[in-house]
Amino acid sequence: MTTATTKPSSTLETPARKPRVTGLGEPTERGKRTAYLRLELKRVTRDLVTMFFVVALPAFMYLLFGASAGWSQQSAGNGNVALYVMISMAAYGAVTATVGVGGTAAVERMQGWGRQLGLTPLGDGTFVAIKATVALLIAILPILVVYVLGAFTGAKGSLMAWAGSAAILVAGAVMFALYGLIFGMAFRSESSVSAASGSLVILGFLGNIFFPLSGFLLDLARFTPLYGYVSLARYPLTGGDVVDTAGNLTHQPLWMPVTNVVVWTVIFAVLATWLVQRSRGRQ
Amino acid sequence: MTPTDSAAVELTGLSKSFPSRAGAVRAVKGIDLTIRRGEIVAFLGPNGAGKTTTLDLVLGLTSPTSGDVRVLGRSPREAVRAGQVSAVLQTGGLLRDLSVRETVQMIASTYAVHAPVDDVVRRAGLTPIEKRRVSKCSGGEQQRLRFALALLPDPDLLILDEPTAGMDVQSRRAFWDAMKVEADAGRTVLFATHYLEEADAFAGRIVLVADGEIVADGPTDEIRARALGRRVSARVPSERLPDAVAHLRVMAIVHDVAVEQNRLTVESSDSDAVARELLTSWGAHDLEITSGSLESAFIALTRSDTEGAVA
Repeated sequence: MTTATTKPSSTLETPARKPRVTGLGEPTERGKRTAYLRLELKRVTRDLVTMFFVVALPAFMYLLFGASAGWSQQSAGNGNVALYVMISMAAYGAVTATVGVGGTAAVERMQGWGRQLGLTPLGDGTFVAIKATVALLIAILPILVVYVLGAFTGAKGSLMAWAGSAAILVAGAVMFALYGLIFGMAFRSESSVSAASGSLVILGFLGNIFFPLSGFLLDLARFTPLYGYVSLARYPLTGGDVVDTAGNLTHQPLWMPVTNVVVWTVIFAVLATWLVQRSRGRQ
Repeated sequence: MTPTDSAAVELTGLSKSFPSRAGAVRAVKGIDLTIRRGEIVAFLGPNGAGKTTTLDLVLGLTSPTSGDVRVLGRSPREAVRAGQVSAVLQTGGLLRDLSVRETVQMIASTYAVHAPVDDVVRRAGLTPIEKRRVSKCSGGEQQRLRFALALLPDPDLLILDEPTAGMDVQSRRAFWDAMKVEADAGRTVLFATHYLEEADAFAGRIVLVADGEIVADGPTDEIRARALGRRVSARVPSERLPDAVAHLRVMAIVHDVAVEQNRLTVESSDSDAVARELLTSWGAHDLEITSGSLESAFIALTRSDTEGAVA
């Protein structure tokens, strides 16, 4: 259509609708994007299996390895060891949440929901924004639960150690939505999301989350994605000190976890973009 | 067609190829088609004819390799964004963990304005099962849900891709009854099907597609006569063949005449009359009459097309 006018295209481009029998589906309700977000949150929270791994398991592990362990009251910098374990377990719960959200987003889009959404005005950008918000809000759940448990069971630390670590945990968890997305896009089935979540257990061990590593494993750990994330979250507490299996302290400069997080975010983003483009090409 | 009364759908030279290991697969091979507002058009063809791909192009779910698509005078994506076009897609594409009503609410939330959720649920006959999880719904119920979603934007153009696939006879009838109400309200409807009966019962116009091309396009009565007509084939002495062909071609009951060596094949809605004519006036022998199923109509139409191109 060639229209040189600056007028809104109402009269020329969209002629009056064909006269209809009235009373059939006059658009009278307003769509609310918040309704989409609310329903997405409802979906995740009523999925009890997911909620178990996201909230209950980290909370349980904190109580086992943090609150009730003999060393829980020892110092770990700006707080005690209980706080250290609390941050670790909250990190595990938060990334499990975002990996799940990212993975299901990819799988449901490829299994046809993407086509259904393609018939609506909802843009790709809005979809991503909604899913990212869902990931963020769900990631807050385990952090909140584990931190509240911590506060009641002897985790102690400076205000900065509490607030700083929580903020880093929330912000950093979002990058793992991309990790889930990559699994979902690459393997295209619901089981790929379980595989992604399962792989987090291994990455959790390698990331120095569940128990302190040392020697070769610790050297290797520094290059794995969860290591950077959890080290950064612990930084406000430890100031960069790392405890190894033997209880020795080593200092680790801030640039190490920062570089880890930046590099992995770039890797995830590039891989995810490539996979999205590949799936577009197949349409 | 004046610009103020743009066609509901306008396809010009539309082609779509998909890359594959064995080179590009051409799913749609140059389709030209105009659908006026208010028409009810069936896109009829066998599986793999390129129906779904063409509808995807009309909906802007995929973009053409070449050619142009206009929907209500706009690009497909603009028409979708304005809520002027919506569709019932083939199986798949629902979130199994949502309830029927939640699914409608979720899609409704993507529109600036939409028909009331209660209203849409009722019109699709879903009120009694609105709390049921999608995973517990039958194929027919899921299809009605997709129909409800398509009604949300109050579309001018409604596109249905094999809407009754997998439904039993009863739910199929119920679906088309509901559809009829929407069409009577003045919507343009374009639906793909491989059931001739469905096209016949519901559409005013049939576009027959095979192998990515339109092989016939016309009012339903005409296409049905052609598809369900019989085929008479016989040998005619070669010296009389040209006259016989010329004579048959002007007969009103004859749709098509083909010659292969000295064997004549006549597509007709009245095979008895054609047979009598051939036997009594043209000395025909070895006469055969076969009834034209839809499949054979497809085959006949596509074959005559390609042979025409070669010869």
